[in-house]
Amino acid sequence: MKRYLRLVRIFLGATLSAQLEYRANFLGAVLASLGEVGVALLGISILFGQPGVTQVGGWSFREALLVTGFFMLTEGVISVFIQPNMSKIAEAVRTGNMDFTLLKPIDAQFNVSTRNLNVLRFPDLLIGLGLIGYAASGLEVSVGGALAAAVLYGSAVVIVYCIYLGLSTTAFWFVKTQNVTELFSGVFGAARFPVAAFPVPVRFVLTFVLPVAFITTVPAQALTGALGGGLASPLIAAALLLATRWFWRYAVASYTSASS
Amino acid sequence: MAEYRAEVVIWMLSGTLSLVMMLVWMAQAAAAPGGQIRGYSAPEFATYFLSTWLVSQLLVVWVSHELDFQIRQGTLSPQLLRPVDPMWLHVASHVAERLVRIVPLLVMVGVFTWLSGASFTREWWAYPAALGLAALGFSVRFLYEYAIGLLAFWTESSASFQEVVWLVYAALGGMFAPLAFYPEWVQRVAVWTPFPYMLGLPAQLLAGKATLAQAGRGALVLLVWVAVFWVVRLIVWRVGLRKYGAVGA
Repeated sequence: MKRYLRLVRIFLGATLSAQLEYRANFLGAVLASLGEVGVALLGISILFGQPGVTQVGGWSFREALLVTGFFMLTEGVISVFIQPNMSKIAEAVRTGNMDFTLLKPIDAQFNVSTRNLNVLRFPDLLIGLGLIGYAASGLEVSVGGALAAAVLYGSAVVIVYCIYLGLSTTAFWFVKTQNVTELFSGVFGAARFPVAAFPVPVRFVLTFVLPVAFITTVPAQALTGALGGGLASPLIAAALLLATRWFWRYAVASYTSASS
Repeated sequence: MAEYRAEVVIWMLSGTLSLVMMLVWMAQAAAAPGGQIRGYSAPEFATYFLSTWLVSQLLVVWVSHELDFQIRQGTLSPQLLRPVDPMWLHVASHVAERLVRIVPLLVMVGVFTWLSGASFTREWWAYPAALGLAALGFSVRFLYEYAIGLLAFWTESSASFQEVVWLVYAALGGMFAPLAFYPEWVQRVAVWTPFPYMLGLPAQLLAGKATLAQAGRGALVLLVWVAVFWVVRLIVWRVGLRKYGAVGA
């Protein structure tokens, strides 16, 4: 365990110094983050800006803003921690670099999941947290609610990680998987609104087929104290974690390297 | 292009913003008193957003990614030896992809239309008009994305510029809602940009909510923007090439 923590520190240092070399990139990344939040806010304010509309799917503006905040935060988590690692899996399989990863005396899944970091999108995390804080300041939030939201959001991050890892692991067979993760980000776009804003059949799909509802709507519900069946989220996270772990091992076992 | 059929379909589905917005607005209209918002009922929202989806699929441009890659990896160099401007190569591959895309695209629009109850206009002239605007819109987008891709001569972050411009395009193009739903100051800004005419206007034509005169005016605006970006692209290309040569790449 201690060894792994030390490794995380080393990885962090290496990726930081590699990225800070390109300082001009930072400006572009900040622009992209601001653009992203601007568009998210525009989308939700147009929805609420129509005459006679005070709530969307039973959610007030502040409450819906909470969901937007969790959406931005998750976009940040994906682009800072998850995407930079996962996109490298397919490349490593294609070029045969995966051989070196598998030969190292540490867990390969740990290695591919923590090696890289995109610090440039760090502002996304701050923007997301800021939005959540702003929205929550206008709502009644209990301490218990905040704790529940934190736990449920933790599960949400695990769910997102598992989906990404599962999709990226298919690279061991299909090599080109960038498209599949792209498909997920398309579906994930639906998470910018509370699930209740969608027609009933779609709501069902977003909850039970693709667990998008658990990523943003459920933590927001926990904060406002309107939590229903959302408590299933840690269970789903645990199940997905086991399933992707098994899938990863199965994929590694059937890996035959690029040259053979 | 036909080699990557699966990929083409996946890319089409990943542009889901208009589909997400369609579902949200349909639910909103269904819940509103009278079943409509600003005169749009649920099926009318479906028609508008499916149209934006269709048009946005025709406007897809990825040239800036490719330029970014080519400039960084130096694969641009051999292309410079050819007697044609490398731009035309990119134009050809984009047009070819469109031809591959069109059949699965129409099938999907058909399925979504059936599922959502959308109904497109019966005026025949709306279709060639929308197609013409989409073609002009594609030219505008291709040219400005080309110029952005060329920024890779100077900066590492041309990809993030591209991202920002996409967001502006989606927002002002009317991907979140018909432009009339936007706050007034946004509308006032939007009319000076090419975005509403390349995306929202052709979509409105298909939905039977825009007139031929509006289409004509939109086409004129787009033509002006094509000219503007043509010059911009040419200048960036010339200046950038000098810089590229100077590094000795």
